[in-house]
Amino acid sequence: MAVETRAAPQPAPKARPRPKREREEEVLVWPDLVFVEFIAAVLFTITFLILSTFINAPLLNRANPEQTPNPSKAPWYFLNLQELLLHMDKAWAGVLLPTIALVFFMAIPYIDRSREGQGVWFGSKYAVRLTIIAAIYATVVSAGLVAFDSGDRTHAEYLTRWIPSCDANAEHQGLPCLEDEPGASHTGIITTNDVSTRMRMSMPFPDALGIDDGHLDWPEDLDNIPVPFNNICGNIGSFHLWCEMHINAPATIAQQVIPLSTIAFFTVAIIYVLFRVGWLRTKRDLFIVMFTAVMAAYLTLSMVGSFFRGEGQALIWPWEIKVDEG
Amino acid sequence: MAVTEDPRKPRNWSERIGVLQDRIYDALFHNYIWQSIFRSGYPNTPRNQMLVVATNVFLHLHPTRIHRTHVKITHTYCLGGLTFFMFLILTVTGVLLMFYYVPSVDEAYQDIAALETNVKFGLLIRNMHRWTAHAMVILVFLHMMRVFYTGAYKPPREFNWVVGVILLVLTLVLSFTGYLLPWDQLALWAVTVGHGIGGSAPYFGDETQLIVFGGYEVGPATLIRFYTLHVIALPLIAAVFMAVHFWRIRRDGGMARPL
Repeated sequence: MAVETRAAPQPAPKARPRPKREREEEVLVWPDLVFVEFIAAVLFTITFLILSTFINAPLLNRANPEQTPNPSKAPWYFLNLQELLLHMDKAWAGVLLPTIALVFFMAIPYIDRSREGQGVWFGSKYAVRLTIIAAIYATVVSAGLVAFDSGDRTHAEYLTRWIPSCDANAEHQGLPCLEDEPGASHTGIITTNDVSTRMRMSMPFPDALGIDDGHLDWPEDLDNIPVPFNNICGNIGSFHLWCEMHINAPATIAQQVIPLSTIAFFTVAIIYVLFRVGWLRTKRDLFIVMFTAVMAAYLTLSMVGSFFRGEGQALIWPWEIKVDEG
Repeated sequence: MAVTEDPRKPRNWSERIGVLQDRIYDALFHNYIWQSIFRSGYPNTPRNQMLVVATNVFLHLHPTRIHRTHVKITHTYCLGGLTFFMFLILTVTGVLLMFYYVPSVDEAYQDIAALETNVKFGLLIRNMHRWTAHAMVILVFLHMMRVFYTGAYKPPREFNWVVGVILLVLTLVLSFTGYLLPWDQLALWAVTVGHGIGGSAPYFGDETQLIVFGGYEVGPATLIRFYTLHVIALPLIAAVFMAVHFWRIRRDGGMARPL
């Protein structure tokens, strides 16, 4: 028979809640997760059944290649690219910028390799603040740039109205001036395209490099500059890579240099400001700002394309949109 | 004490019904055929609950246990799962639409118009396909944002994030190729805009138009190309990437958790 001995109660070690073991923090997938998934699936099925009962998918007239609807629009998730097409070179708007954005997305985890802040929403100190600032900033900037680059309704041209009207009789214009439409009153630069189409200037230049009238004129003397070594015609199938390549400098500046440097400027500006304020401190913070900005700009440009673009892609209010289906 | 009565023998009607229920249950579920299909018993014990997940091909995408925080709706809002669920609805409704649709310039539009008026539930099926397609695009973006803002792309999940970006592109392309198929004015001219964007690719513009759209303008060749891409090629490619995506979630240690 065991003798039960009862020691005097020891002073208990300082009470500390035992950290829970991993297993105790776990629940079974069936039923806890499977149930949630099932409910979500049922809710969505019912929602879409009801939605589909009451709202019909659009079906317009049979496709007719002879009748172009005005405006004709891409699906909403590509309308942002269509919007960019109005403001810059089509290769940049349609192909290169989206490609850069996708490569940027894929590169994020290979650059931001820290493991901190994963598994919780907005896991760094200023993440929420950075997200809100970047979202508002990108929305305002992209909408503002669209408005600025879109002509008469926005009155952006008043900003550049100090550039004088061109003298129709002068052979060389000298200081920069703007050519007006025949009969129109003088305006400033309405869209960046005006830099290569309406703007004229010239400077004295020795007769060389194909200039034979003593003046280097913008844009006509600069729109066909041969690229060095463009006489090497390496033909790979139908790809003419470098062969006979000429640069249209005014168009390049208006459609590539100005739009891209504008995007770069506004991106760098917000990052620099947030860095100086001290809120942006890690690569994670940097990517929060950039990712948020890309998403917000994507959404904003889609909205502009969906709701603010009317006939001839003119910038108008949503309630003024009339689609001429052709 | 002498045994005076058989404890298994029902004493009143309620017990009689209980016995009957057990017999029916046994007949239905404890038979050779049923148990050849479902290896584990009814999931009313932890052991069976884990077995049912582990031995079912559809459920075994999940682990058998999961951390408490991951079951909270606000952790993921089910966005990835719902995106996949949209893909499933689209597959089912898409197959039904294929029964009535001929991808030729002469017939496509008539087929859709007839589907809406002559086929029972035809309009409903088409509406479901259309709206869930839009929902899938939205959900895939929201899922991407959820993963980004919860830092779930961080090591060791880098590659799965890349797979996710590819799936985003595939979703957009799937939706875009489907846009042309009704062959109405909306379809033709939206794809014509896309055709122009494709043609603006530096150096490869013409090739993009020829290879992807089948010509220098949107026409019969584009329709059959987009149809084939939309109903077989892209869904298969997307399914492969989804398999990798789901597999890697498990391989990379489940959903991201605070360190």
